[in-house]
Amino acid sequence: MGETRPVYAGLSHIEVVLFYGLAVVSTGIFCWGVARLVLKYRAGRREPLGRLVRRASSMVDVVFSHRWIRRRDPIAGLGHLLLFYGFTALFIGTTILGIQTDIARPIFHADFWSGRFYLGYKLALDIAGVLLLAGLTLMAFNRAVRRPRRLGYARPDRRAGEYDRSLYRVGDWVFLSTLFSLGVTGFLLEGFFLASTPQHFAAWSPVGWVLMKWFRAMGLTGSSAALAHHVTWWVHAVLALTFVASIPFTKAVHMIASPANVAVRDPAAGKRLSTIAADAAPEDVGYRNLDDLSWRHLLSLDACTKCGKCTEACPAAAAGLPLSPRDLILDLREAAETTLGAHAALGIRPDGWPEGLDVLGDPIRTASVWSCTQCMACVEICPVGIEHVPIINQFRRQLVERGEMDPMLQRTFETISSTGNSFGEPKRRRPKWTEGLQFAVKDARKEAAELLWFVGDYASFDPRNQRNSRALAEVLRRAGADFAMLYEAERTAGCDVRRAGEEGLYSSLAEANIEAISGCEFERIFSTDPHTFHTLKNEYPGFGGSWTVLHHSELLLELIEAGRLELRPLGYRVTYHDPCMLGRYNEVYDAPRRVLEAIGVELVEMPRNRDNSLCCGAGGGRIWMKEQRPEGSRRASEQRIDEATSLGRLDYFVVACPKDVTMYSDAIKTSGHDGEIELRELSELVLESIGAPTDSATALAGTKVAPD
Amino acid sequence: MSTADNFVGIVVHAGGNVKGLFGPRFLPGVVAYLARHGDGTSPEGTPEVKAVVCVKQVVAIGDEIAFTDDGKSVDGDYLDHAVNEWDVVAVEEALRMTEAASAAGEESEVVVVTVGGEENEEALRRCLAMGAQRAIRVEGQSGALLDPLTVARRLAPVVAREAADVVLCGVQSSDSVQAAVGTMLAELLELPRVAVVKEISLDRADGTATVMRELEGGLVDVVEVDLPALLTVQTGINEPRYATLRAIKQANLKEIEVVEPSQDAPGCYEILRIYAPPRGEGAEMLEGSPAEVAARIVELVKARLS
Amino acid sequence: MSGTIIVAEHLQGRLRDVTRELVTAAATLPGPVTVAIVAREPERIAAQAELEGVNEVVLVRAGGDEFENDVYQAALQALIAQRAPEVVLVGFTVGGMGYAPAVAARLSCGFASDVFGLERRDGRLVCRRAFYGAKVHGEVALPAGRTSVVMVRPTVFAPAADGASTSRSDMSIDPVTPRARHLRFVEAPQSDVDITTADFLLSIGRGIGDRENVERFVKLAEQMGATLSVSRPIVDAGWMPAARQVGQSGKTVKPKVYLALGISGAVQHLAGMKTSGAIIAVNTDPEAAIFDVAHYGAVADLFDVADELERLF
Repeated sequence: MGETRPVYAGLSHIEVVLFYGLAVVSTGIFCWGVARLVLKYRAGRREPLGRLVRRASSMVDVVFSHRWIRRRDPIAGLGHLLLFYGFTALFIGTTILGIQTDIARPIFHADFWSGRFYLGYKLALDIAGVLLLAGLTLMAFNRAVRRPRRLGYARPDRRAGEYDRSLYRVGDWVFLSTLFSLGVTGFLLEGFFLASTPQHFAAWSPVGWVLMKWFRAMGLTGSSAALAHHVTWWVHAVLALTFVASIPFTKAVHMIASPANVAVRDPAAGKRLSTIAADAAPEDVGYRNLDDLSWRHLLSLDACTKCGKCTEACPAAAAGLPLSPRDLILDLREAAETTLGAHAALGIRPDGWPEGLDVLGDPIRTASVWSCTQCMACVEICPVGIEHVPIINQFRRQLVERGEMDPMLQRTFETISSTGNSFGEPKRRRPKWTEGLQFAVKDARKEAAELLWFVGDYASFDPRNQRNSRALAEVLRRAGADFAMLYEAERTAGCDVRRAGEEGLYSSLAEANIEAISGCEFERIFSTDPHTFHTLKNEYPGFGGSWTVLHHSELLLELIEAGRLELRPLGYRVTYHDPCMLGRYNEVYDAPRRVLEAIGVELVEMPRNRDNSLCCGAGGGRIWMKEQRPEGSRRASEQRIDEATSLGRLDYFVVACPKDVTMYSDAIKTSGHDGEIELRELSELVLESIGAPTDSATALAGTKVAPD
Repeated sequence: MSTADNFVGIVVHAGGNVKGLFGPRFLPGVVAYLARHGDGTSPEGTPEVKAVVCVKQVVAIGDEIAFTDDGKSVDGDYLDHAVNEWDVVAVEEALRMTEAASAAGEESEVVVVTVGGEENEEALRRCLAMGAQRAIRVEGQSGALLDPLTVARRLAPVVAREAADVVLCGVQSSDSVQAAVGTMLAELLELPRVAVVKEISLDRADGTATVMRELEGGLVDVVEVDLPALLTVQTGINEPRYATLRAIKQANLKEIEVVEPSQDAPGCYEILRIYAPPRGEGAEMLEGSPAEVAARIVELVKARLS
Repeated sequence: MSGTIIVAEHLQGRLRDVTRELVTAAATLPGPVTVAIVAREPERIAAQAELEGVNEVVLVRAGGDEFENDVYQAALQALIAQRAPEVVLVGFTVGGMGYAPAVAARLSCGFASDVFGLERRDGRLVCRRAFYGAKVHGEVALPAGRTSVVMVRPTVFAPAADGASTSRSDMSIDPVTPRARHLRFVEAPQSDVDITTADFLLSIGRGIGDRENVERFVKLAEQMGATLSVSRPIVDAGWMPAARQVGQSGKTVKPKVYLALGISGAVQHLAGMKTSGAIIAVNTDPEAAIFDVAHYGAVADLFDVADELERLF
């Protein structure tokens, strides 16, 4: 017999039986817990799940590459990577030992746990143990010393004293120290065993070997080492079995739920919102009760590791509004656990938790639901694929159904419903902005054109944006582009109507627009409005309208690259703000940057750029709601201007979204940076670069006054 | 027979908080056609509380306008449609009354009625989506230009047939501002009425309602009116609920009863022509940036006040 | 059929201004002008109705001291039956709305409301009134050969001056049991401000958009030494008390300066302020009706202008 060691060395027969008994209990509790989780998820709305292979491979990729976990915090990412691989290797090692001990030997009388395999096994597990401990140390360092704000449990959506998250803190440290203790006791076991039973191949367990040397130097050998081994073995065993049993009930649940959630997540979450059945009863619209949540969304609640990256990225939280995406998920999770999960099965109900399944209002406050800009920053950064945005949107749908919304928002819906635009303008005024042009824009309803320009509300009706629309029209004319518009037939595309939760209005807008567009002859559609662009491109196909849709930055780049515009370098120093709907929603990051490069301006990036761009605060229909402005807070848009002006002297703050034009024109004035930086829309700069005279229209900014 | 002690009053005030509940019985009939309540009990299957609301789809024009060739109407292209603001408020008020009754376990119904063409059913759909149970359209030419007496005459037989406890109308329509249809309709139905109401408290024990009439200058006239009655409702009495487009689409599936109008007698006027209003001499426009405008305003104010 | 009957409107013993205006309106029509006063003791008000242009005051003894629509309806129907007037003029007021249309419906009269101009043409009475939310004016002809009931928009015609004493006659009607009974008046909640006596009103409307902006204009008014008044939507929304409301259902004001920010100028609002000394209006809509009555106007964003005003005061 080659190199190996007895498995239950020094244990009496009774002790081994006891161990197996405890193992059965532990596994039993674990299985019961997992079963409760499954039952909890099954309480949710059914939703089909396809493409299982692709889901599995994507999950493996995300989990093993740690691509998502490493983002925006490389130290914590490295820590988790180390402990993940260490833990996984140790888990595999334990499984191998289990197979050897409980299957291979008793059933097949085979012993593979010896010789070179055993030596390699020992070395690998020692390395894994070191990785685990190193990772845990890094995580502990992160938590205790670096202490990033996001790991604190302060809630931007509650007042101090209104909540107690101290148990979470305890849970985090218990979890960390349990794993740490498992690793340490594992190594101690090796050391004590080697100290009591000298082996010539001890060096294959380097850590154990070092410990053995140390113990021997302290005089710990023979039977005393064997006793220490005996005691430590039990400590390790009980700890391990307790840990296994606790997995479904503690933070450790993320070891199961997070990979599962990554696998079942909707890759288009938030980008393509779901539809509502035509015959749905009012109480079934959106989310109100916990069992309204889809089973996937219920599962995602348990996937949360409380890392706080979502809340850190949230523009509403940054502006002091009562929304914290993490805490919204955690509130739902606590409620689900209390009413549907293991807590419910055991009758554990923490104080203050409502008995019913209705969570809308308490703990999910309507103010939180309405604070969201649906900017996707939270979903985009979540390392475990939680879908905050569609969940919040579902709550909104229920609130809209009940009429519990900001009166301004309600008026806007009514206005859009009666006039087809959010400005309450008669439809005949939609093409009025073209009156300042030197030429007539083709009417797509009457003649064919290569490009169909879906202008959108802000670019059509808002005076400051009309200027940009005219700039783009002029640029297109100079480039010889063949384009047409829908004139009066165009209506609000509905992107924000949908995100504000008025799905019925959205679908009727989409249907009306699709009907209008379908009657025209063209090759591609473009829009300057990322919201419009997004919904036409990604959501209209679900309503029967599929076309190639471009953002004007992409179109401009195409024209520039085709050499159809004669550009002269402008030499400005600018920064560029990525619109949520263009960037995070559609990953168009480069086109506007390359246009800026082509017109010879120096781009200075803000610290938060591309996927980390900070929402201006207007999205998700927020632009139609009463502004909430907590005492002492700074608007997200103002913080963005602060960020831009901290880059040193810049000529322009460049945007590529009509709502950004409105939001940041205001923010430059109100942030105290008036005069330090000016706003330009991409088209305006391109127009300047081709040397065309700029629009003489007055720079009327501001909101439209509704008639009495 | 009297079961007055069974009655509980309902109080609906401007905020819409219901302080009391409908009792199980009906208001004493005042008008003969209210045979439904003749013996003080309601026949099987008919609701115990019923409100009829007359609504109108109004048109709005922007700043551009073109007239039809005969000069008697505005080109339809220049018009946007909406449910009359006052009528929406009236529907909301009716819904609040009947919801209070329903909460007390009583059958209740809100019926909305309009005069107009098929295209005006949109207004009825909106009301159905808000929660009205039934809708009736009296066939007829729609538009802002129908004279109020004709409208009232077309409504009258249908509203009479419905035999409601309360008939509500908006004070006026935003497009034609007649403020007359409700009062005319009450007269044709021989119903007691109060115009321009901003608060309603029904007291079914007494068979009356106490309402607040809003007079010019802010004085409020408190009036007691016998039920059943017709009330014309002023905006501000409540904040109407939102009708989601989804609910409106579902309402599209509901049957709308269409009633042929009775023979028309001549109306109370004939439109000779309509025209763009002559502009006054107009304001002197202050041009320039907001700062310049503000500076001129300050100048003007100081000159006038000194 | 001849002559014009005006139904006087009175409240708490005082004749209302609209009655004086109706007398002026009646002067444009042929035939004698009769003012009918319906009250328990009409003689107490009679002297106030002796206005220039009035030929006769009829005292209709009916009902109580205050308005009740069934009483007024019965009285007017009796007057029409007895006197067969060509035209009956009633104010387009909350009171008038309660009975004049009913009389027209009962007697199949010609009827027009919210009338701001009237003339006799080709044997018919032609009234001018607005349609489509005042964006359009129209002429309507009332049928010939029967009495026309016309409700006249307040504040359009100048109030008639006091006149010499006129002949009075009495008329009695069958007792009326009103189905809608006046119980009492409630004063609108008293406020410390009286917008009717202010020299300078800063008036805001729907254009301010949001309740939270109200505070800002309260401050601006204070800063400018103005009294803040509002249009109906602001009161309907509950953002300001009714005591601040200018317009037909609010207060009629005549300050030296009326600065209107974000008020587009509904007819009812204009009725309450158009006689102000200097009207300055700021609105983003160049077509806003307020510019028709304003002396000075600016097409601008009211918040931008408010920013600057805050700076200047």
